[in-house]
Amino acid sequence: MTAIVDVQDVTKHFGSVAAVDGVSFRLEEGKIYGLLGRNGAGKTTLMSLLTGQEFATAGDIRIFGESPVENARVAEQICFIKESQKYPDDFKVKHVLRMAPRFFPNWDQSFADQLVAEFRVPLDRKMKKLSRGQFSAVGVIVGLASRAPLTFFDEPYLGLDAVARQLFYDRLLADYAEHPRTVVLSTHLIDEVSALLEHVLVIDEGRLLVDSPADELMGSATTVVGGRDAVESFVGGREVIHRDGIGGLLSLTVAGLTAAERATAKAAGLELGPVSLQQLIVRLTAGSTTDFTENAPTTPIPEEARA
Amino acid sequence: MSAVSTPTIPGPRPLARRIGNVVRLHLANPFTIIGTPVIVLGLIFAVNWMIWWIVRTAAPSDPQSVADVADGLQYSGATLWIFVYMMVVAIMAMNLTFSFALGFGSTRRDFLLGSGLTFVGLAAIYAVAYILLAALETWTGGWGVGGTMFNSFYFGVDSPWWLRLFHVFALFLFFLAAGSAFGSMYVRWKARGLIVFFSVVSILIMGAVALVTVSDSWPAVGEFFEVAGFTGSYALSLVLSAIAGAAAYLILRRATPRN
Repeated sequence: MTAIVDVQDVTKHFGSVAAVDGVSFRLEEGKIYGLLGRNGAGKTTLMSLLTGQEFATAGDIRIFGESPVENARVAEQICFIKESQKYPDDFKVKHVLRMAPRFFPNWDQSFADQLVAEFRVPLDRKMKKLSRGQFSAVGVIVGLASRAPLTFFDEPYLGLDAVARQLFYDRLLADYAEHPRTVVLSTHLIDEVSALLEHVLVIDEGRLLVDSPADELMGSATTVVGGRDAVESFVGGREVIHRDGIGGLLSLTVAGLTAAERATAKAAGLELGPVSLQQLIVRLTAGSTTDFTENAPTTPIPEEARA
Repeated sequence: MSAVSTPTIPGPRPLARRIGNVVRLHLANPFTIIGTPVIVLGLIFAVNWMIWWIVRTAAPSDPQSVADVADGLQYSGATLWIFVYMMVVAIMAMNLTFSFALGFGSTRRDFLLGSGLTFVGLAAIYAVAYILLAALETWTGGWGVGGTMFNSFYFGVDSPWWLRLFHVFALFLFFLAAGSAFGSMYVRWKARGLIVFFSVVSILIMGAVALVTVSDSWPAVGEFFEVAGFTGSYALSLVLSAIAGAAAYLILRRATPRN
């Protein structure tokens, strides 16, 4: 295992609030990671710590074996696209893109030019005059064309339309295949990116809840679909992660079925399907889960839980 | 933590290159640092020139009156705003450019060294331009109408050009350094930090004034600056600039760009 990020028991306090609370994990070289969690869960703070922008209150962070704080050697290997990145007041898009090759050793200018055309970013417009989507697109372009061995995208597509988001996924995957690197993607749009993610970290209230390969995490639960009675009797007293029902049809998401149980379900005429990563994450981070299933048996996930 | 290997990464690029990148960052849009001040200066000059022309046309033309007008114009503060503008440039640089530079993988140290170099260079360029314009002003007989904008009293009209160059340079440096210090305080402690700082400074100044008054030392203070003269006073400002620069460095080295 080649760990390019090694985080040991890292804590970051802002006053009395622990934004990151005793977190430990490793990131391996050449994977796409999803850093998932609700608003204020500590995702941005964690990435700021990993890139040396924040100072940890306690714990040890090693990036490429070294501390990232005030470390030019490490900083040159990193690109951190922050959702709230500030730009000098007088900067136009072209100024940002003109500066990038000076700071990112692996910068690919022709790739950047291609992305500018594809995302339709106005080069001559001031950064502060851009729409939220265009603003995000500039970050995406810098993040992709910098080809940094360790790239962080913090909510990279706020305001991007569906076409632009798809473009981002496509370009990221294609370029990642040609130039393997480690990418950490923090996002709320979990289902949209779940196909991209190889490994998932879930953080909630500053604590690391999940550190697992994406397929393993999704395999940990199954959706059982069929007639209401048949599904209910098969599931029995099992813990239900998610429940959806229309008329006589019922779809229940349950944790870990064995091969024998799968066979039983199939024999009973039930359909087994994969579970959505988003549902799992919502379930993991929505707080009191028993209330959630008991009190709202057939209603969809509340909107605020999705955010 | 046994079988974990770490990939090796290349060494950092040379310090000079990294600092040079920060300088380029400050100059990425030269309009802010050079374009805007030059345009505003041009406008102020045009208005001033018209006033000089009116004064020359309306005032009596006997030698005594002409000398009086010239004497009065020495106190022109028409260029003093550039110094305040430079302070604002430094404040913005510490706030926004700092955040951007960190986002682009600069260390705080490299950013601060590059900023220091930029500001010293900027002060030097502006001081040279200022003194050249002053020479042009003299050479053209006050822009053809006996006006004064650059041969201002505040930089010592009787001093040789190289001393005036030093005076202007020192004043630019002071405003840039002070702006850096204020900007870094803002980044680190936000508005509250600035309020506390200026409150403390005000109290200290009032305390000093009270002390000087009570001890009846105003003549001594006056004598000190008379002995120091323009050159001595501007040299003294270098000490303040150095303190402000060092403060900016120390404050920003532990600062984090936040919203």
